[in-house]
Amino acid sequence: MANKQQNSIAIVAEKLVKKYGEGVLAVDGIDLSIRANTIYALLGPNGAGKTTTVNMLTTLFEPTGGSASVLGFDVVRQANDVRRNIGVTFQEMVLDEELTGRQVLDYHGRLYKLETAERKKKTEELLAIIELQEAADRMVKTYSGGMKRRLELVRGLMTEPKVLFLDEPTSGLDPQNRASIWQYIRSLREKGDLTLLLTTHYMEEAEELADIVGIIDHGRLVVEGTPRELIDKMGADTIRLAGTGDSDRYLKELQALPFVQSSVDTGGLIQIGVDSGNHRLPEVVTLATKNNFKIEDISVAKPSLGDVFLKYTGRQLRDK
Amino acid sequence: MSAALTLWNKHLTKLIARKEEAFGTLFQPILWIVLFGTGMAAVIGAESPDAKNAYITFMVPGIIALTAMTGAIEGGLTLLFERLQGIIKEYLVSPIPRPSILFGNALSTVSKSLAQASIILGVGLLMGAQFIGLDPLGWLGGLVLIIALGLGFAGIGLAVASKASSPGGYHMLIFMLTLPLLFLSNALYPIVSLPTWMQIGARVNPVSYGVDGLRQTLFDSGSSLAGGEFLPLWLCFVVVSVFAALGMILAYSSFKKSVK
Ligand SMILES: Nc1ncnc2c1ncn2[C@@H]1O[C@H](COP(=O)(O)OP(=O)(O)OP(=O)(O)O)[C@@H](O)[C@H]1O
Ligand SMILES: [Mg+2]
Repeated sequence: MANKQQNSIAIVAEKLVKKYGEGVLAVDGIDLSIRANTIYALLGPNGAGKTTTVNMLTTLFEPTGGSASVLGFDVVRQANDVRRNIGVTFQEMVLDEELTGRQVLDYHGRLYKLETAERKKKTEELLAIIELQEAADRMVKTYSGGMKRRLELVRGLMTEPKVLFLDEPTSGLDPQNRASIWQYIRSLREKGDLTLLLTTHYMEEAEELADIVGIIDHGRLVVEGTPRELIDKMGADTIRLAGTGDSDRYLKELQALPFVQSSVDTGGLIQIGVDSGNHRLPEVVTLATKNNFKIEDISVAKPSLGDVFLKYTGRQLRDK
Repeated sequence: MSAALTLWNKHLTKLIARKEEAFGTLFQPILWIVLFGTGMAAVIGAESPDAKNAYITFMVPGIIALTAMTGAIEGGLTLLFERLQGIIKEYLVSPIPRPSILFGNALSTVSKSLAQASIILGVGLLMGAQFIGLDPLGWLGGLVLIIALGLGFAGIGLAVASKASSPGGYHMLIFMLTLPLLFLSNALYPIVSLPTWMQIGARVNPVSYGVDGLRQTLFDSGSSLAGGEFLPLWLCFVVVSVFAALGMILAYSSFKKSVK
């Protein structure tokens, strides 16, 4: 069975394409191969195609081209097998506001044909985890944004899915809610037997949670790796500088220096990955002067995933 | 089937929680029959108690059709909101058969219609409508007709709700489709009193068959007004069943396109 053979790979996408109508190529040939029991974070600017990718993997709509499978089940031909095994939290709120929190979980369980006793048990257990017992019999419309989001997150877990998709699970939440959701996600992973694909704009979220990060832009996967790998590729330190002059020539000369590991101009801000920032600063400045590049601002920092993100996706707004 | 029942249960739970709407659902048919019935009886000059009772008897099935229609419009609206608010996505990524999303909705629409129909029949009785008495076959036939009429209307509502992109657009379209079905029929006035072109319309309209069927199954059959003949009862059942089936098919084909 396909299911057995690919046991160690939970999510596969091959040359996945989605076109909306005639014009918009939202996903432009994405390949993914996500190992079981890992947390994979899909990063990308607004409009990069994250939600569209997730929607195809969760069988919400069919790809225009390519193929994908979850747990070995094809998302088009075996959509129902996929659906039985996944939990999904959508980017925007999808909650029936005129039900109580407890009813939301209960009806969800019924749709998946859980027995009454099991539904009850699971509902109480999940309500306790998200600290929503007191509000459980109030209408969802009386909940705060954080309460709603926590409820949505655990709804996806009523059915003990093997693969969980979370589209921007913590967007718009306060630090308390975010921390509690992170902790919850980590605890899920520790329990084992759960693969998690999440999308996010928050670099620290990806850094905190993800085993593997994939950055997508314009519907394509531009880079993939563990957060550590990606950050290390940037160099040990990052020198950031802004100034005026012929930045192209300056950049070219910089790249020729042996200690420069990466350098990129993200529209006015030049980022240079070097082995040691404090030591190399003078040389970088000297080279600028030699090239008539006038530095106006300069700083040294440890690179972060945010630097990786900007390096691969640039600074331009995507959803113009 | 179990998914459809779950959604049916959920819709009715929500309806009961919305107290004003639940109350309105039950009260609205009373208003129709009391106000419209009394008014129309006066307009057509049914002054003697007998003539008035005859008109009420005539009109009660028409009001049942009318409430089935309004109920179906609301049912479609439920689907439309679930679509627009994205709630339908929860269903679409779950392993339930897609038609059950529609079927659950149609079930709640029909249950509401049945509750409303019982109220209408009760109030009609108080106002002098002449029922068949205890004829089980008649009541069973009436039940089948009300359900089938409800399914047909529900199908139209769901088909439009699958296409519409806003509540405003939905209402425009749905009224264009359903108003002629109601008023170009024998539901509220006898066919024979209509101008010829309307008579033709009423004769090809499934609602006329549903309503005339009800008149024959539930009521004392002396009650065809103005010397009009009833449409043949067997034909009423055939036409209304086809109406129900077509409604559901239309809804499903429209819905399938919307969730691609
Ligand atoms: N239903 C639709 N019809 C037409 N175009 C769409 C539709 N949905 C998304 N798009 C377009 O497809 C592209 C990818 O959108 P998508 O929602 O997948 O991006 P995203 O990475 O999730 O963005 P965000 O971070 O803002 O959620 C965008 O250009 C968007 O405008
Ligand atoms: Mg998105």
